Amino acid sequence: MAAPADGNGKDPAVTAAVVVLWLLLALFVVYPLAMLFARMLTDHGTFTFAGIATVLTDRHQIRAFWNSLWLGLLVGVIGTAFGFLFAFTAARGKLPRRVLGILDASVLLPLVSPPFTTAIAMIFSFGPRGLITYDLLGMKGVTVYGLTSTLFSEVLTYFPIAYLTLRPILAAIDSNIEGMALSLGASRWRVFRTVTLPLAVPGLANAFLLLFAASLADFATPLILAGNNFPVLPTQAYLQITGMFDLRGGAALSFVLLVPALAVFLLQRYWVSRRFYVTITGKGAGQTPFDSVSAGARTVLVGACVAVALVIVYFYALLLYASLVVALGANHAFTLQHYRVIFTEGLKAIRDTLIIAGLAMPLGGLYGILLGYLVTKKTFFGRRTMELVSMVNYALPGTIVGIAYLIAFNDPPLELTGTALIIVACYIFRYGPTGIRATVALLQQIDRSLEEASQGLGAGSGTTFRRITLPLILPAFFAGLGVVFIRSMTAISATIFLVSISWTLITVKILENITELSLGPAAAFSVLVVAIVFVVIAAIGRLLRVFRAPGAMPMTSLLGG
Amino acid sequence: MTDKTIGVAVDGVSKRYAHRVKGEIYAARNVVLDVRPGEFLTLLGPSGCGKTTTLRMIAGFEIPDEGRILFGGNDVTGLPANRRNIGFVFQNYALFPHLSVFENVAYGLRVRGQAQAAIARDVGEVLALVGLGGYEQQFSGQLSGGEQQRVALARAIVIRPRVLLFDEPLSNLDAKLRVQMRQEIRDLQRRLAITTVYVTHDQEEAMAVSDRIAVMNEGSVVQEGSAEDLYHRPATEFVARFVGRVNLVPGRIAEVAGRGGRVAALGSVLGVRLLPAGVAAGDRVRLVLRPEAIAFADPGSDPAAPAATVTARTFLGEKVEYVVDCGGESLQVVGYNAGAAFVAGAAVALVVADDVVTVLPESA
Ligand SMILES: Nc1ncnc2c1ncn2[C@@H]1O[C@H](COP(=O)(O)OP(=O)(O)OP(=O)(O)O)[C@@H](O)[C@H]1O
Ligand SMILES: [Mg+2]
Repeated sequence: MAAPADGNGKDPAVTAAVVVLWLLLALFVVYPLAMLFARMLTDHGTFTFAGIATVLTDRHQIRAFWNSLWLGLLVGVIGTAFGFLFAFTAARGKLPRRVLGILDASVLLPLVSPPFTTAIAMIFSFGPRGLITYDLLGMKGVTVYGLTSTLFSEVLTYFPIAYLTLRPILAAIDSNIEGMALSLGASRWRVFRTVTLPLAVPGLANAFLLLFAASLADFATPLILAGNNFPVLPTQAYLQITGMFDLRGGAALSFVLLVPALAVFLLQRYWVSRRFYVTITGKGAGQTPFDSVSAGARTVLVGACVAVALVIVYFYALLLYASLVVALGANHAFTLQHYRVIFTEGLKAIRDTLIIAGLAMPLGGLYGILLGYLVTKKTFFGRRTMELVSMVNYALPGTIVGIAYLIAFNDPPLELTGTALIIVACYIFRYGPTGIRATVALLQQIDRSLEEASQGLGAGSGTTFRRITLPLILPAFFAGLGVVFIRSMTAISATIFLVSISWTLITVKILENITELSLGPAAAFSVLVVAIVFVVIAAIGRLLRVFRAPGAMPMTSLLGG
Repeated sequence: MTDKTIGVAVDGVSKRYAHRVKGEIYAARNVVLDVRPGEFLTLLGPSGCGKTTTLRMIAGFEIPDEGRILFGGNDVTGLPANRRNIGFVFQNYALFPHLSVFENVAYGLRVRGQAQAAIARDVGEVLALVGLGGYEQQFSGQLSGGEQQRVALARAIVIRPRVLLFDEPLSNLDAKLRVQMRQEIRDLQRRLAITTVYVTHDQEEAMAVSDRIAVMNEGSVVQEGSAEDLYHRPATEFVARFVGRVNLVPGRIAEVAGRGGRVAALGSVLGVRLLPAGVAAGDRVRLVLRPEAIAFADPGSDPAAPAATVTARTFLGEKVEYVVDCGGESLQVVGYNAGAAFVAGAAVALVVADDVVTVLPESA
């Protein structure tokens, strides 16, 4: 690892690291995207707009485009509202720690689950033989597929992002400001409207954009729930490729998706998030000396949060139940049959996934901390560009990345499809950026005088890096590691294009199971993934506590953006 | 690692930084300092005058663009900080947040590869010395500002540095603690006899701790000397104004007699013991009159004394501050006996002894 702490780039170790990183970024970020564009704009070697024109004139695809935006908008608005409800209740509701902990845990569930989890639970509840629609309400022939259920499922899945974004912001708004307004005679509601809400606006905008992007990129939920009458772009691109073997059409579709995704990302990163960093200065107010919420309002708020949390808990309980009975909705006899299936027929997928996640985890963690360290602490040519390029695969919807990899690595000289390497690389460059951001954030908090103090005490630059800098950014390493692992266990949108007979993934198996209507094994797989992920999160939480570094951010906050 | 006390010489050192508007600025310009072995030298000056830059060059955190740094006569200009054997106390303390108090202090010893037993002994001793025995297992987040300061100090001295460097170490403490800590730093430095360079912009602090003070302005050292030298014999208007409160009164040389003479000022003629070299009768000068150097007498008691009117009087317990008007010139005066007679509006005669006046040439 690059050691010296002086700002020049002439150190051979730094130079070597920079060169290697650039080569990797060129290979796994720039090259695939370039190939995607090339495929979209050429036909047997000649330049043509035909591919993109076909998409842009196809009414079905145009509808998919608008559907995607519409769904993203709705998910953004409703999810932000839910997130605000939870964040406000958590920050101002004076809840006992334990209640808060339970709320947090239930909200965390969707964030660490494989993508189809709520979708499966939706089918179990509201499908033709759904527990609620059929058994409870006695409705026949209902269809669960369409905008409503996609929206419902995506809101439940993604609103925790808004919660995690808004909670620190609301907590940072000094409640003395609210108290001040109260003491001036304003009613609580008025204070909320004229003080709290306006102060939270940049945060709300940020949360909205994050949710919009998440929904835009979501591939799994609409694939299961949207049905034929509500096509959206990521699923269309997937079907174009897997159903019609039309790579160029898929590429063109993903390009159409790329435009709004990139716009939202740039808006979020360079405008909104910058704004609220200057608005909220770090003086953590912490306590709430004034009752900004009346007793009645508080009851309503807490009630609403509990209701939402209960829905989530119900969904997961249902999933667990479904994994333990013969056939939910038909035969509720207890059985371990589904687990037997996943540990025999599904064993390969489990093994493959664990191997891939196990490989991607340390490599992705290392990549994050190394790149984050270099771009923050070293000066070298193209430093800003490197940081930006490293964010690309993370910012783009997985579908685009997957298709780009498929196109780039399908043929010699870089024929990697069918290997584990391509999946591992995809995960490293798609989820490693979380570690980069965490490293950069931590390093920016570390005053340069710490490294100088070490140097002044006689430590060389290698010792200083090892004994001072590294321990201080270790939390970012663990966080980066954790996120790469969790995403490697739960992602599907990019890697569904990259799996093969030799290497497959649990999430892909779940999808297969659902399409074959064997929902029991799908539920069992989901339960297994959630369990593994929870164990890993707990382990990382422990590690963070052991290394009790300052400014260690909670793991969960990283899952947000 | 030798315990022999050494001196530090800063020999014509300059440091330039790129500046977005001005292109390039001199943060330090031809700085010359000679710190004697065991001496406590303070760099005093306003914000941005280059104190920190100079100190960091002595430490080895910055490399000078010109000039040399000598430790005990050896050129260390190109030597990185970790090979200079210095103790540096930062303004923000820079305690390692992931290490306990013990490990913070032990850090320099561990880097030097000392045995565990020796480390435990030395750290224990030095923590006791700064009054932090029993704090070994605390972390910096659990300490008060003053305690953090002591840890930073302990960490710097435990390695027995040849030179101790402080960059505004007390600026984050409250006024009372500042006074107490500066005394402790001074005592410790005396006891250990480590050559010390201390940076501050607080003239009172500088006077309280230093053997010698170097006043800096705009990157250069403008005057060097003991606190008394600087206070009583400032070489420039800048030093006169920066060190203590001052009345600067325009005057004209009336007579040169030996090294002293007489100066026409305040509508009168004042005797002066020491005139700047090279002035002649008729030259314009400025008189440096400290507020406590002016005394009041009853008007008319000495017809030659400048006459003035008291315009304001503030009783401050141990002393009384006055503002007087002397022929259109407004002067500050401090009196230590609360002469009840001198109320606002009273007419007074000003008494200025001939040995308390410093005369500056027009250009200084
Ligand atoms: N790394 C740097 N790059 C550019 N300019 C710098 C740098 N460090 C210092 N300067 C400039 O050099 C000048 C002297 O700075 P220095 O930090 O030495 O001042 P100082 O006397 O310590 O002031 P203060 O009392 O405010 O700490 C200032 O004008 C400052 O802006
Ligand atoms: Mg300074």
